[in-house]
Amino acid sequence: MRNLARHAFVALLVFAVALPFLWMAYAAFLPPELVYAGEITRLGFSLENFRALAPEGFWGRLVYSLGVSGLATALALLTGFPAAYALREGAPLLGLYLFLLAVPAEMLLVPLYGVLAGTHLLGSPWALIWPFAASPFVVFLLYQGLRSVPWQVVEAARIDGAGEGVVLVRVLLPMMAGHLVTAGVLSFAAHWNLVLYPRVMTSETWWTLQVWMADLVRKYPSDWGLLSAAALLGTLPLAGVYLLFERKIVETFEGSLKG
Amino acid sequence: MRIRPKPAWLGLAPSLVVLAVFGLYPFVEVVRFSTWDWSGLSAPRAVGLANYRELLGDPAFWHSLQVTLAFAAITLPSFLVLSLLVAFALEGQPYERWVKGLLFLPGLVTLSAAAVSWYTLLSPEYGALQTLLYALVPEDSPLAAWLVVPAWDREPFWALLLVVAFTLWRYLGYGVLVVSASLKGIPRSLLEAAWVDGATPRQAVRYVTLPLLRPAVTFLLVVGTILTLQSYVAVFLLTRGGPFGGTRVLGYFIYEVGFEQYRLGYAAAATIVLLLLTLGLAYAQARFMEER
Repeated sequence: MRNLARHAFVALLVFAVALPFLWMAYAAFLPPELVYAGEITRLGFSLENFRALAPEGFWGRLVYSLGVSGLATALALLTGFPAAYALREGAPLLGLYLFLLAVPAEMLLVPLYGVLAGTHLLGSPWALIWPFAASPFVVFLLYQGLRSVPWQVVEAARIDGAGEGVVLVRVLLPMMAGHLVTAGVLSFAAHWNLVLYPRVMTSETWWTLQVWMADLVRKYPSDWGLLSAAALLGTLPLAGVYLLFERKIVETFEGSLKG
Repeated sequence: MRIRPKPAWLGLAPSLVVLAVFGLYPFVEVVRFSTWDWSGLSAPRAVGLANYRELLGDPAFWHSLQVTLAFAAITLPSFLVLSLLVAFALEGQPYERWVKGLLFLPGLVTLSAAAVSWYTLLSPEYGALQTLLYALVPEDSPLAAWLVVPAWDREPFWALLLVVAFTLWRYLGYGVLVVSASLKGIPRSLLEAAWVDGATPRQAVRYVTLPLLRPAVTFLLVVGTILTLQSYVAVFLLTRGGPFGGTRVLGYFIYEVGFEQYRLGYAAAATIVLLLLTLGLAYAQARFMEER
């Protein structure tokens, strides 16, 4: 009896969490005339919505957003890994990173606007890249990962004459693959999901998929099929990457919370 | 004690350069901006503390502070309780890993896409959920009166609840992972000892498990407070602060004032209030995590 209640609770939860995804996938294939007639419970199948995305400029935005978020993430990993290594070696700046972890860019919209204007990045796609080239979150996650590496390995490599670069790339990099993937996926997602930041900091030409989509809702509030098609296709890349590494991500994340 | 630098510390350099410019310098700038009358385009004009004086007398600011507190007061307890309940319900079940994977997904997927889906699904009167409910239950039956999607486009209270639900939907997976990680760290021998001493399963949870989960709960509380103070993107996507300012949390107030009314100096002053609120809590977070 107790177990039944437990399963029912989990089933209800899974349904509630999955519902928006299911609806998105369903509505994307609804023929537009059914949506406008309000007859969404009648079954119909159409690819009309996906065709309508191209003239709105969906594909260009998608490729551009993937590129910008990918580049920002790559830079964050590139700066984050040596920084995490330095912290693990006792550099006394962990507090600074934890402090910055609590204040994300969307909180500093106003002063960042001024800083970007001063550095002439405002309005250009670089405004989406340089401020995210170092991420306290990535540093912290990698630092947690390095704490679980037995440090004798590093000391042994040094005795064999390995320099810091060799230790980092040849010794630690292979051991940290799981953490690097997790940090990469999570920080990619965080960057991908910025909405107000790109809206404010770049000109309309350089808006990301997110901003474009928020705008599309304003333009066609009742064209659910079109909106859902955009939502579905805009979700798939990220959901795909996540599902590919899901086991690794959940495990790593849980592990670093324990530490 | 003298700190002895090591060659490995050089690894911090690139990261610190970026963070100094885009992470720390803005804190200096925001103080400077808050003493300006500035539209972002025109030349700034120094006005001293006028922005702060105006802020204190601005009913919209006080209202948004109230909304922020109400939002946190609803979101935080439900976040904690749900995280605990779900982590307990999942513990040791065959589907545990699978469900956790699913719960984590909303936090990662495209934010605007999720908002689109919520918006079309939950629109009052014409939304997909309402249409579906009316298809299942005839509109004139007495039961149908109970199956109405609340009019969150007109009633501030329901609009706020919608934003709360969206926020919970996005972050629940994170909360469950935190509790669950800590749950797995509890040695089984402790529970067995309690059972041997004659504790019922309920008592074992009450007197053994829950006290041991305290660090995890404290952690969630702090992170959750910071998250709730900062989550205004959902407001932008779902309600744009309305109806009647009922969902205009402090973060969104700043966005509106700064980038829709182009009063960046005034927005900077409001940012300082929000930062002080957040940093007080971030300080607690850092201390808490360094102790661990």
